[in-house]
Amino acid sequence: MTGTPRRAVLGGAAAAAAGFALAGCGSDDDGGGEPKGRKKGEKITLTFWSWVPGIDKPVALWNSKNPEVRVKVEKVSAVDGAQYAKMHAAIKAGNPPDLGQIEYPVVPSFLVDNGLLDLTKYGVAEHKDMFIGWQWQQSVFGKAVYAVPQASGPMGLFIRQDLFDKWGIEPPTTWDEYEAAATAIRKKGAWIETFSATNGNRFAGLAWQAGASWFGTEGDTWTVSIDDEPTRKVADYWYDLARRKLIKTIPDRQNAWYKDVQTGSIASWLGASWGDALLVGNAPKTAGKWRVVPMPQWKKGDASYANWGGSTTAVFAKTKYPKDALAFAIWLNTDPESIKLLIENGYGTPGAKQGYTTSQLDVHKDFFGGQAYSKVFDEASKGVDTSWKWGPATDTLYQRLGDAFTAAIGDGSDFRSVLKKVQGETIADLKEKGLKVKAG
Amino acid sequence: MRRVSKAPRRLTRTEARSARAASGFLLPFLALFLLCFIAPIGYALYESLLKVERTGPLGLGGETKQVWAGLSNYAHALEDDRFTAGFGRVLLFGAVQIPLMIAFATALALLLDAASARWVGFFRTAFFLPYGVPGVIASILWGFLYVPGISPLVEMADSMGWDVDFLGRGAVLWSIANIVTWQFTGYNMLVLIAQLKAVPGELYEAARIDGANAWQVARHIKLPLIRPALVLTTVFSLIGTLQLFAEPKVLKPLSNSIDSGYTPNLAAYNEAFTSNNQHIAAAEAVLLALVACVLSFGFLRLVGQRGKDGDNG
Repeated sequence: MTGTPRRAVLGGAAAAAAGFALAGCGSDDDGGGEPKGRKKGEKITLTFWSWVPGIDKPVALWNSKNPEVRVKVEKVSAVDGAQYAKMHAAIKAGNPPDLGQIEYPVVPSFLVDNGLLDLTKYGVAEHKDMFIGWQWQQSVFGKAVYAVPQASGPMGLFIRQDLFDKWGIEPPTTWDEYEAAATAIRKKGAWIETFSATNGNRFAGLAWQAGASWFGTEGDTWTVSIDDEPTRKVADYWYDLARRKLIKTIPDRQNAWYKDVQTGSIASWLGASWGDALLVGNAPKTAGKWRVVPMPQWKKGDASYANWGGSTTAVFAKTKYPKDALAFAIWLNTDPESIKLLIENGYGTPGAKQGYTTSQLDVHKDFFGGQAYSKVFDEASKGVDTSWKWGPATDTLYQRLGDAFTAAIGDGSDFRSVLKKVQGETIADLKEKGLKVKAG
Repeated sequence: MRRVSKAPRRLTRTEARSARAASGFLLPFLALFLLCFIAPIGYALYESLLKVERTGPLGLGGETKQVWAGLSNYAHALEDDRFTAGFGRVLLFGAVQIPLMIAFATALALLLDAASARWVGFFRTAFFLPYGVPGVIASILWGFLYVPGISPLVEMADSMGWDVDFLGRGAVLWSIANIVTWQFTGYNMLVLIAQLKAVPGELYEAARIDGANAWQVARHIKLPLIRPALVLTTVFSLIGTLQLFAEPKVLKPLSNSIDSGYTPNLAAYNEAFTSNNQHIAAAEAVLLALVACVLSFGFLRLVGQRGKDGDNG
């Protein structure tokens, strides 16, 4: 629907009290009209771009059950956001796949490109109740639903219990205790953690926990408030740890970090639920020594948590077979057998309510000394501030944060200056994209 | 010189036929040249003069239009201190790395060309081999040698009490220079050797009869005669320096010292593929091409001038 009537805009703005303002529109208007869809009995093949390890297993299961609608997985690289670069380029070139794996934070950037299909026209709403509420909301803009939730990444603290025990250090429950633990561990010659300058995802999670809200909308204007009080608190906290050399500042999830984790030189990791598979795969010799504890709190006794990552199965606007693509996306993320296969490969905490139990998530129980560790993430998931929304240029934002933190760590300037800088840059970036924007 | 008559002369039938034949051979080249060279440049220029405008609430779902932007994308690029800092960085890089690499390549070429050298074929191949390794792979390989905790080099330095950080702020540019030098010295050496081989043997004979030693032969005969090859390799290196991309891109995740605009090429790439803003990326690419043009032709002019002076002297 082109040329949204003013009333629709206002209506959407009214709806913004609950979520995001967007009048129910979102079809691409390049003249193609409605896709005709599949004729009965016609055999088709849908392409699906994903990087999730082992995704081909549930897809093979689907293919064995649905000979008429075959799905072909094309693996895309998830290094440095390469998969999204490829998807954006494909949208621009007019030949995107039918389906794609898209993380929650970057869904809005595809909407700005008119790249995703509004699934409400194809009856996605009837499946709403099968999914966890806040995960569903991550792909809802106005009345339109743009993607099917797959999984999320509630955050927790992975710790080397054996080392904490050996050193006589209690796992921290608050950020103050965390600082004390960092000091104590440093005295033992090891490090509690690294602050990775380039990991914007995790920093966003830390700000999210502290009560920040980086993006919002006012009418048809985007608001940006990266330089807000909660985020400043987080920035000051980590700057202090870095300045006193209580934490490392090497990039995480890179060779040097893996080595530190393998040797116990780094004794904990603020990670997400999908991080279990990552540790199992990269530090197999530390099996049995790890535990998961809740993320430290700002105030003792609080239970506010955050989310890092998580993704959706989205249907691209150009697909010729929207109904079949949607059917597959729903099946992939709700069918118990499919979820079981996905869990085994470490895809995170399912977005579907049914089809699994927390104990099924403990696939790496032995690695965590028999702990029912998914309970920690399950609790965390309940404590995630569900009002958090992402803006339309998250990849750029992460890059901006990475550049500014890189520079700050290099020349020793404080992390508050990073927020100020990135706030200004993000506003400029959104303007550059032709959007209305102001500081929140 | 014979004077060419000014009056236009009609082509004879054979000449016309051979002209037609020539254009027949030229056409495929021209078509490809237009398609693969001129068209992309034209398209980049065109894209660099546009920007997007979105309508619809929050800019979502509505219409996305490309509108005339004038030179605002260029202004944006030039105001971005990350982008301009990238230029400063590659120029510094080139000022140090190119002379070093060319000197190194020349020395190797002269050594291998010396008649008494043994195993010439083996060494020539060995030095050239790194060129066969794609830049990305080379960067990954060297990355392993740079990362603390993994690198045997860092460990060795550590055990001797040296605190080295190849990926630190001050060092990382030179760590990249090392990769580039490792990769391209052998290639440049081959170009220089090829020209050395073309020097007629009588010249050396004459020099030897005049009593010149090996060093004097190299200094006064070989070096001046391979001048064109030296100019060529320097211009290639100059352009290559401005195009620096794979090395910083691969090392970026390993290091806290490389930002998204570390080199102009990386900046344009990130603008296009991370920020999804191809208009600014196009402007940055055009600026990069302009600088490469100015520098290469500037260098050619400079050595051309010097060459003439040398001839006169």
